[in-house]
Amino acid sequence: MTDPRTPPRLPRWLLRTLLPAGDRRDTIEGDLLEEFRSREHAAAWWYWREALSIVIRMRWRRRTKGRSMYLDNLQQDVRYAIRSYAKAPSFTAIVLATLAIGIGASTAIFSIVNGLLLRPLPFPEPERLLWINEANAKGGLMSVSWPNYRDWEARAHSFEALAATRNNSFTMTGGEHAERLIGRRVTWGFFKAIGASPALGRAFVAADDAAGAEPVVIVSHGFWANRFQSDPAAIGRRIVLDGRGFTIVGVMPAAFRFLRDCDLFVAMGAFMDERPLKQRGDHSGYYVLARPKPGIPIEAATSELQQIAAALEREHPDTNSGVHIVAERLGDRIVSDLRQTLLVLSGAVGLLLLIACVNVANLLVARGAAREHELAIRAALGGGRLRLATQMLVESTLLSAAGGALGVLLAFWLLRALVAAAPEDTPRIDEVTLDTIALLFAAGAAMLAGIVFGSLPALHASSVAGQHVVVRGRPAGASAQSHRLRRGLIVVEVALALILLTGATLMLRTLQRMTAVDTGFTPERLVTMELSLRGDRWDDERRDAFVNDVLTRVRALPGVDGAAAVLSLPVDGSNWNSVFIADGVPLPARREDLPSAAITPASPDYFRTMGIAIVRGRTFSEADNTAKAAPVVVINETMARRLWPGQNPVGKRFKQGWPETPSPWREIVGIVRDIKVFGLTEPTPMQVYMPFGQDAPRDFPIVVRGSGDMAGLATSVQKTIHAVDADVPIYAVRPMSDIIGSSMARERIAGLVLTVFAIVALTLAAVGLYGLVAQGVIERRHEIGVRIALGATARQVVRLVVAGGLSMAAVGAAIGIGGALVMTRSLEGLLFGVAPRDPSTLALVVIALLVVAAAACGIPALRATRVAPSEALRGLN
Amino acid sequence: MAQGILGGFEQHLLLVIVRLGRDAYGGDIGRELEEHTGRRVSRGALYTTLDRLEDKGLVRWTTVQGTAARDGLARRRYIVTASGLSTLRTSRQVLQRLWSGLEDRLKDPS
Repeated sequence: MTDPRTPPRLPRWLLRTLLPAGDRRDTIEGDLLEEFRSREHAAAWWYWREALSIVIRMRWRRRTKGRSMYLDNLQQDVRYAIRSYAKAPSFTAIVLATLAIGIGASTAIFSIVNGLLLRPLPFPEPERLLWINEANAKGGLMSVSWPNYRDWEARAHSFEALAATRNNSFTMTGGEHAERLIGRRVTWGFFKAIGASPALGRAFVAADDAAGAEPVVIVSHGFWANRFQSDPAAIGRRIVLDGRGFTIVGVMPAAFRFLRDCDLFVAMGAFMDERPLKQRGDHSGYYVLARPKPGIPIEAATSELQQIAAALEREHPDTNSGVHIVAERLGDRIVSDLRQTLLVLSGAVGLLLLIACVNVANLLVARGAAREHELAIRAALGGGRLRLATQMLVESTLLSAAGGALGVLLAFWLLRALVAAAPEDTPRIDEVTLDTIALLFAAGAAMLAGIVFGSLPALHASSVAGQHVVVRGRPAGASAQSHRLRRGLIVVEVALALILLTGATLMLRTLQRMTAVDTGFTPERLVTMELSLRGDRWDDERRDAFVNDVLTRVRALPGVDGAAAVLSLPVDGSNWNSVFIADGVPLPARREDLPSAAITPASPDYFRTMGIAIVRGRTFSEADNTAKAAPVVVINETMARRLWPGQNPVGKRFKQGWPETPSPWREIVGIVRDIKVFGLTEPTPMQVYMPFGQDAPRDFPIVVRGSGDMAGLATSVQKTIHAVDADVPIYAVRPMSDIIGSSMARERIAGLVLTVFAIVALTLAAVGLYGLVAQGVIERRHEIGVRIALGATARQVVRLVVAGGLSMAAVGAAIGIGGALVMTRSLEGLLFGVAPRDPSTLALVVIALLVVAAAACGIPALRATRVAPSEALRGLN
Repeated sequence: MAQGILGGFEQHLLLVIVRLGRDAYGGDIGRELEEHTGRRVSRGALYTTLDRLEDKGLVRWTTVQGTAARDGLARRRYIVTASGLSTLRTSRQVLQRLWSGLEDRLKDPS
């Protein structure tokens, strides 16, 4: 007979509620019931105890087991994803390549922007370090005059450190060959201002700046390691610079760098006898570094200096009228030239990354659409929405992680290429590396791509699971929703590609205009090299003899058509600019309104060697080329036109400097054609040439025109120079075309990067469009078959297919034009000869884009014409 | 498949199931174990350990129709698998090796 006893209700209820329903629970309940009924004593108590123990232990086990269940699922998803990607190698390759390009390019550009713009200078509190120029009344920037600097130093109270510095290269002799070293003259407060001190030896002290002090130098770590094998006994040793002995008193730490690599820092005491230091009106290349005292705002400190400058203007109206201070943060000063280029590049790279992500999303949605059948079955078999969405996210994250890793490799290579292509004097370029921050950026970009644009297909796919997609014998086509999504993405890609294409075309036209600029001379087959004649042994006489001897010998070399010496090469800027007065040019009321010109000492053969045409009069002869000859000058067309319009300036007189400057009046003997002086795009200034022998500089280039093997010629020229004097350092040996090329470096980099990006973007958009249209053709086979059966011609079919694709491209192009009109304004400073909104460029770009789009649509369209109507109709279920 | 080391309780359960043969139902296993060990066996521990043994592939079960004594609720009959038997044999060998030579020292002094 059945035992009527029933177990206590509450524990039984707990069992029934807390254990999952199923035969598991039933058997346990049954076991407990059977045993409960078989017990004679304390059965209820036993039941309570065992029921609770079961509930507690089994719930606990389920929870910990569930956690490992998630891990198991994850492992499963990853394995599944890898397998399914391996089964679709071309899809996977395209996606990985797209991601790698997007992430790689953006990481490389980010590294450059970070290294040059964003990363703070490696000095303590770099934002409080100021770089100070002087400027004239017209706002033209100048270096600081030494007497002005001394007065600032004496009168200012707001600064912890105020130091003057200028570049100075030196010729070091005493070794096997003469060597040219890059150096800096600094006042003793220089290291204090930047917050650095020598690792070995001592820093400079005030006594080192005094006239007559023992010449001392602090060397860089690299110099010390190379020349002295890191021997601590180098302190106290002497080196010979420009023929004078300097004692090494300190060595900088290995990691120290001020703006650029520098071999030596030389104390000012060695130069206190120089004439420019005594002349207040002479701005001879010194700049001032300043660090305000702690607690004093930069503006207050700068304003104090302004007031001191104003006082000096009142005290010295001859030299200082209109002269005021321009102070900026050192960081800003360094990159001001580059800022725009870098920002343009960043913008371009951002667009490219966006395009890459959109493309990947497109591909993933397409893949998701193709898998709707598979996903529907899985949903029907009980796979939850969350589970499916998680799986899609895992798949896309895996892709983006792999793409990111490849992207980092690409970034490394790309960065090296960009750094190598950068303009030579780009500050801090040697600090640019693929550092931790750049890698974090890459990881972030990959994550963004994976999660944000992978979630799109994930959400879409999981919604499929919720739909009641009928499981047919064949996969149905992609849903209308996924189609709309893909079309939208293609439109966005096309728009972005058009923006990049417009930027690239504008830069290419700029480069074209720049290369077409008439430089005023013949740059082909010209080689240049710089010489340095420093030191006490080089007096004027010796220098003249050397130059004449060298030029004569070089002209005698086989293959040489001409050789000359000059102070400044064309396009490369002017090393000497000065105010002047001239016959028939009235003296202005204010001194600061005196005209200025580029002054260029040049040897007699210069104009012929360079191919600069004579307009009027004559150029220099050998007779003009000595210090004792009558002072003469040759001027350029711009000067003739501006000062003596409609007149003949030949015979008029010119005097360099202020009215009181002790320089001679010189007769104008000829006019030559304008050449480009400050780069290719700046207007030509007034230019005055003087005979080289009448005012020979210490550092200057020579130019040689030749025929045949130019590299061999350069070597012969150097040998010839060393045959005259083995201790003259020769450096910067390069063809004239290199100099012209460097002046276009900024534009070239921007053009190169934008072009590469635009091509990649256009390719991605075209491939995306092709894929979408091709799929559309497959899905519309039935419709196309019917049309053909009803008599549609091949041309009509092609028009049908292409029109669909082109409409997307047209919408994208329209949006892209709007974007381009906005974004190309940022290119303004880089463009030359073409406006940012140039209509012909826009038209060209739109046409090119539509042509490419038509081609992308044309291939599947042609395939559509080959659809056999009977096949297509039979294929219907 | 690598043979894991059995815990004490796991070993006892397996031995009891072997001992019970065709009558190795859930409730019977618990009672038999209590009889042999002289200690109370928590049913929570019993069922979770049986689940664990099943996960490891050492036991399997079949569902059998329930009797009136349990209001018709189904029962599970447990069987030790070949893998379970092999693991038991290994565990015994390990125990025997550990025990060997210690009889004198572990002799009951009484």
